[in-house]
Amino acid sequence: MEDIGELPYTEFIKKLMDPEKIFDKPEPLKGIRVLDMTYVVLGPAAVDYLAEFGAEVIFFEDRDGDTMRYVTPFAYFYKNMSPGLQEQNHNKYWVGMDVRHPKAKELFLELVKKSDVVVENLAPGRMAEWGLSYRELKEINPKLIYLSLSGFGHWGPWAGRTSYDAIAQSQGGLSSITGYPERGPIKSGVWIADWIGGLMGAIAVMAALNYREKTGEGQFIDYLQTENVIRWLDWTWLYVFKTGKDRERAGNRDLAICPSDMFTCKDGWIAIAAFKEEEFYGLCKAMDRLDLFEKYKDPLERLKEENSIEILNAIAEWAKTKTVKEIDDLGAKYGFASSPILDVQDAYYSEHYRERKAIFEYEDPLYGEMVEPCYPPRMSETPSRIKWGAKPIGFDNEYVFTKILGLTIEEVRKLEEEGVLFKWNEEKPMTCPPPDWDGKRGKFFL
Amino acid sequence: MEEDKIVGVIPVKDYAHWAYKETNPDEIYKKPEALDDMVVIDISYGNFAGLFCSSILAEMGAEVIRIEPPEGDIARKMTPYGIMIKDTGLAYIVEGRNKYHITLNIESEEGREIFKRLVKKADILIETYKPGYMDSLNIGYRDLSKENPGLIYAAIYTYGQFGHECVKNANKPDYDITDQARGIIMSITGEPELDPEVPKEYKKPLKHGNWMGWYAGGAWAALGILIAMFYKRKTGRGQFLDVSPPEGLLAMSNYVIQFFHETGTKMVRAGNFDYAVFPYTYVKAKDGYVFMSGFTDPNWEGVTNIMNRPDLRERFPTIKDRLTPENQPIIQHEIEKFTQNYTSDELLRMCNEYNADKTKPGTVVTGRLDSPKEVLEREHWKIRKTFVKLNDPYYGELLIQNSSFKSMSRTPGRIKWACRPVGADNNMIYLRYLGFGNKKLEELKEKGVI
Repeated sequence: MEDIGELPYTEFIKKLMDPEKIFDKPEPLKGIRVLDMTYVVLGPAAVDYLAEFGAEVIFFEDRDGDTMRYVTPFAYFYKNMSPGLQEQNHNKYWVGMDVRHPKAKELFLELVKKSDVVVENLAPGRMAEWGLSYRELKEINPKLIYLSLSGFGHWGPWAGRTSYDAIAQSQGGLSSITGYPERGPIKSGVWIADWIGGLMGAIAVMAALNYREKTGEGQFIDYLQTENVIRWLDWTWLYVFKTGKDRERAGNRDLAICPSDMFTCKDGWIAIAAFKEEEFYGLCKAMDRLDLFEKYKDPLERLKEENSIEILNAIAEWAKTKTVKEIDDLGAKYGFASSPILDVQDAYYSEHYRERKAIFEYEDPLYGEMVEPCYPPRMSETPSRIKWGAKPIGFDNEYVFTKILGLTIEEVRKLEEEGVLFKWNEEKPMTCPPPDWDGKRGKFFL
Repeated sequence: MEEDKIVGVIPVKDYAHWAYKETNPDEIYKKPEALDDMVVIDISYGNFAGLFCSSILAEMGAEVIRIEPPEGDIARKMTPYGIMIKDTGLAYIVEGRNKYHITLNIESEEGREIFKRLVKKADILIETYKPGYMDSLNIGYRDLSKENPGLIYAAIYTYGQFGHECVKNANKPDYDITDQARGIIMSITGEPELDPEVPKEYKKPLKHGNWMGWYAGGAWAALGILIAMFYKRKTGRGQFLDVSPPEGLLAMSNYVIQFFHETGTKMVRAGNFDYAVFPYTYVKAKDGYVFMSGFTDPNWEGVTNIMNRPDLRERFPTIKDRLTPENQPIIQHEIEKFTQNYTSDELLRMCNEYNADKTKPGTVVTGRLDSPKEVLEREHWKIRKTFVKLNDPYYGELLIQNSSFKSMSRTPGRIKWACRPVGADNNMIYLRYLGFGNKKLEELKEKGVI
């Protein structure tokens, strides 16, 4: 191996990470099999995080397929595929099967015996109705880790209430504190409670896998996405408890860090923050306002309402006279935090994100050249990667049941004829392969 | 506890009782901890991504040693309106949970030697300095991994540790607002661009009210750490984790990148509308705001049935009709005409009753936009022990959010203590790890090392 020990820091790190060699490095979750009984975003995202780190994921759909096959901006479809389905489904194997069919349930139970993790986000109690909750599955696989994701959990006064992302944002208090003080509450631009709920669910699974590695014991995880939103609201709860006041909306201003806000420049917006003494000094120097620094050296003084307003107004007046780039360059020069507000186009074409493989290019066997985010963090030994994206319903039936359960292709065909397994529905194009599909691309067995 | 307080509306009653028994919050402290064999050093500074990351590990039993400079972490001063409880602000008290707090001056030669000796015994190191700072002190990954090849080193920073922007911006500190700014989501959050009723000055990007950039960065770091730890258990090998919080957000930005790739179209700020699913929106009720949904055709039928407005169904019959930017404000307005007459509780009852009637099509979901004060009053969270109240020997009466991992049946997350003052654990930690007695500690204190 080339000696990289003496290189300057960022070059050393780049060699260490070696993003061009991702596929030559091991996958940390190789050998972990996940049965993915999820739908929409919350559950599929939790599993997707594990899939990009090498878990073998088998994704089950009923005849209509995942809800996200139908949820897409302006009802747009790309070669029959919904972008809403693509975002949280990578590297998975796609099975069409409804466990309410007795034979399908039997197959599912056989798979459970050979799996490590089950994840589901159906309405709480639904899996129990079908005899497939952890209570039943642990009897056939005591090492199983079983993650249930839901809005309000599997017991308690609100247990079983239907929940979506926006319910978690609302009932968890996030919407109430997002927006401008003089305007109404604002929902996140994305289904954020789904994404972060799934993320913490994946963390719980990883903690359970670490524990199982030592003890051989599996477990049941009841993870509540609304409670997760509550957990993420930093100082909110202690503030309400101590002051008796509600937390108000504050727009882009940070009530706990001053200055930290978004400002309007001649040609756009810029985010600025400078809390530590040397950073605030740098900002004041760049503004040619060292008087402000002398007056408000102490960060705690800056946080007092009146002082905050004086400081933020001064920055706003200054920013108006500059371009975004001018201020952003000054941030680098004087050591305060500054950044334009990146939109999708900026990120898509960002050399930085491409170089780091945070924006990942790959050629999907069905949909051709694709560009999608690849999950962080970047890891030097065992990096995440995208191999393929979302697929039509039942696309991998043959592969899954021959490889894992040892059925023959003829047996799989027979199960499909009986309706135990199924594939896409020609009457619903969003469940089908792309129109130009040759019947071969992307298949393991033909 | 009363039956309905456990079962809620779960269809299989004995299952709910079973789930309660498996994850009963009163039994947490009798159960083992998932990560109690891990040693974590958190030397993050002025950064709640680092602090949230080590909180996650500490809640699940890892031994977390927080290293602060002798004057304390400036994160202790990041607090709303400057409110302090003794030496520490509200935000830090929340994320000080279960951690040991020691001080060390890594800018002194002796401090660095001590730091190296501690890291040699650790599985995980978390840091949030500017890229290359630790390396310039000869305590970066390349030095530490030589003595501890099993070390998992997580560096959290806005621009990551390599790449074009990292080189250009390496002199900038990491903050939540810039993490949010670079993660795409902020560009599409805010008042609706296409709604003529919104004044122009509000048509601009909006951050999430909480520290979403920092918390996302911390959670991604924790996921990476646990994946790396799992790999280490099998191979003995450590590794370097480069955690960029904005990359954590852009990886969660719905379909915007895919949609842009496929069509060249940028999504615009939609406010409380949603151009992929509608109605899925906030509307005014008699006593505040509520969420209302009815996206698929059956669910839309449900909404119009509840409102007794079949005419709307005829006017906007398909999903496509309901997703256009022109129609969404119209539909929104029509729904509000109805919801404004009822309280959020009345609307919830109406929807629950409708959903329970299996002869009628669709599921209609609603929920109140609770303010933080209202969240704290909800019985569900009280029974699930979502918050813990404790009387800290130093900080007094506190109420903080519990570990959200508390409902793991075998190894529930938990809170043992809230926070510790600067350097409060110097004596015991330095004694336990390095055998420093009081005399030695006094000597180091005089030299300004701890």
